[in-house]
Amino acid sequence: MPELGRAALLVTLGLSAYAVIAGAYAAHLGRRRLARSAQNALVASFVSTAVAAAVLVAALLRNDFSFEYVARTTSRALPTPYTLSAFWGGQEGSLLLWLLILTGFGAAAVSINRAWARDLIVWVVPVLAAVSTFFAFLLVAVASPFVTQAAPADGAGMTPSLQNPYMLAHPPLLYLGYVGLTVPFAFAMGALLSGKLDERWLIATRRWTLFAWAALGIGQLIGSHWAYVEVGWGGYYAWDPVENAALMPWLAATAFLHSVMIQEKRGMLKIWNVLLVVLAFSLALFGTFLTRSGVVNSIHSFTQSSIGPWFLGFIAVVVAVSLGVVLWRLPQLRSPTKLESAISREAAFLYNNLLLLALCLAILWGVVYPMLSEAVRGEAVVLGRSYYDFFLRAFGLPLLLLMGIGPLIAWRRASLKSLATTFRWPTVVALSTGAVLLLLGAGSSIPGLVAYTFSAFVLATIVMEFARGTRARKALGASSWPSAFTSLVSRNRRRYGGYVVHAAIVLFAIGVAGSSAFDSVAEAKLARGQSMRIGDYTLVYRSLSERQAPNATEIRATLGVRRGDRDLGTLEAGKNAYTIEQQVSNEVGIRSDKLTGEDLFVIAEQIDPNGTVYFRVFVKPLVNLIWLAGLVFLLGSVITLWPDRREQRRLVARASTVGLPATR
Amino acid sequence: MLAVFLLYTSIAGGGNPSLAPSELAGRTGTVQLAGVVVGPVRGDAHAGGLRFGLKDIGRDTTTVAVRYTGSVPDLFKVGRHVVVDGELRRGTFVAEPGSMITKCPSKYAPKKSGDSA
Repeated sequence: MPELGRAALLVTLGLSAYAVIAGAYAAHLGRRRLARSAQNALVASFVSTAVAAAVLVAALLRNDFSFEYVARTTSRALPTPYTLSAFWGGQEGSLLLWLLILTGFGAAAVSINRAWARDLIVWVVPVLAAVSTFFAFLLVAVASPFVTQAAPADGAGMTPSLQNPYMLAHPPLLYLGYVGLTVPFAFAMGALLSGKLDERWLIATRRWTLFAWAALGIGQLIGSHWAYVEVGWGGYYAWDPVENAALMPWLAATAFLHSVMIQEKRGMLKIWNVLLVVLAFSLALFGTFLTRSGVVNSIHSFTQSSIGPWFLGFIAVVVAVSLGVVLWRLPQLRSPTKLESAISREAAFLYNNLLLLALCLAILWGVVYPMLSEAVRGEAVVLGRSYYDFFLRAFGLPLLLLMGIGPLIAWRRASLKSLATTFRWPTVVALSTGAVLLLLGAGSSIPGLVAYTFSAFVLATIVMEFARGTRARKALGASSWPSAFTSLVSRNRRRYGGYVVHAAIVLFAIGVAGSSAFDSVAEAKLARGQSMRIGDYTLVYRSLSERQAPNATEIRATLGVRRGDRDLGTLEAGKNAYTIEQQVSNEVGIRSDKLTGEDLFVIAEQIDPNGTVYFRVFVKPLVNLIWLAGLVFLLGSVITLWPDRREQRRLVARASTVGLPATR
Repeated sequence: MLAVFLLYTSIAGGGNPSLAPSELAGRTGTVQLAGVVVGPVRGDAHAGGLRFGLKDIGRDTTTVAVRYTGSVPDLFKVGRHVVVDGELRRGTFVAEPGSMITKCPSKYAPKKSGDSA
């Protein structure tokens, strides 16, 4: 069996290498049959990679510990879903997942687009194949998942904190995001290499980018929620390099999704868009590198690994080659249209892009600063939380405000008078919200207050947009209000899906501001029967119990919770001691208020043999809006991603009016 | 311009040098110390302080005595890699309360035999 896996990976490597060489040769000389053969090789490499993946899945399910990888990541006692999740639980397996998704996406993207964009696809194929050649090479020569050994009696098992349903979804979603960004990158390169610099590469990849971006966003939120309920230190994001690794490509992709609209509508920002897509893809590679290389002191990885230098080399090659190609095509990329006014939708989108990029680069700077300072000053300097918080406020708050302004402002040139009419009500709503909150005592955190005020502004603009559009459709003859509303959304999914996503970002901002700017914390060492207070909550430590679960000893402190005069029942917090893995983990107690979105969060930090417990308790207002935002984000993404024939026809028609062979 | 801005903030706006225990001798001011926990581990992190030693990762060096108060991460134990912020005071590294992080046994890091990470 391991031989079959190794052979399948070798075949993938051969097919990918062939697709690079034959594809580039065919594209350069215009050989159609050879180009077709390279495309087929790319599709076939998906099949061979799937065979390799199937071998690994079979080995995991059979507990075949003669596979070194299986022995290292699973054990006999591990429940089946987690055994399957061990596929991406180790370095080799996660590389194989990368390759599997990459070849799958590549095969799909090429098959879908080869009829209507043949002249582009011939160059897309070698680019995609070059990326998969790199991963196939790593899997064959550097980090093979099919290394065998004399089978031990049992495997090493899985880290307890990873034995969690979230870990079934979080890593694969991030991979879908990282790998998904390869598709727009390959199409951008294909457009540059072929010299066909029209908007087709954007049309062909819009949904791929959206999909990758949505998967990255949801994957990160799931990771945050996991950290919040499972890791149990009381937060959901720590600006750790590995967390930043996923945030940076998401920010770059967000900028790209906005700036492509400017290119579609006005033919501007062509160079910028190409550079953004190169940046997003490079950051996706950099993210994969960070999580595995151990270069940066992160909570998540510490051990040095063998693939780090390979990754760094590959990233360097990708950046150098892409920039070279962009420079080479620079004359053709120059845009005939210029920005007409600093107050226009184009300008608002440009500010949005600059802010997103500035935030992204500030984070990147923070991540690489320890390495740079080590190289320059001989001493690694680590930038702390305050560094990131500063830039999140400096760039994030204006971004939040722009989210309300950008979609409503006129194209080309907006008059100040029209602005006053458009934004009168949102401004009134925002200022009165701010004033009321100030009276209620929200002035304790100015950034928090500003975030709330801006959020009210954006929500007001979104509600206004939906109301205005629905009224217009009703006037046009929709039979009822609900049908007017659905026809509004379904006729322009991209726009209204976008508003839904904006609403999600606002909910997210409110949740973050509430839980980080207005939270409170209390700690106390309590003996049984003693109590502590935080805000208007009273907690009484009632009892301590110990029970034996199959893989761990669970110690739990039971607390009675009251808020004012109202009895809210009991809450349990404690620790699990895992037998095989010899690890202890905090099991926090969380009580969510469904109405206000506030959490009472209890950590039993230290349990003494005599039964006294050191508790650390947080009250986090509005924190549940963050998770609600995830659901709204998913809804908005689905609306924008939903196939829309009318829009596709419109885009293809527009592409053909500029004299293109649009045959779809 | 952005680069200048970032450079300025990162130099002026704090950020602590990250050191290994063997580099600590004679240093003043707040630093970040990364090392391997050496026993014995004594004391109470919420009363008087938890006392343990830290030595360089992957090398046998002299051990720096550390006193720590505040939350102790789940993964803290002898042999584990931890990072604390603090400063050297009369031969003992006094950590800032709650500054300790341990390295989570990453699913991506290759595991070496005998290595607890």
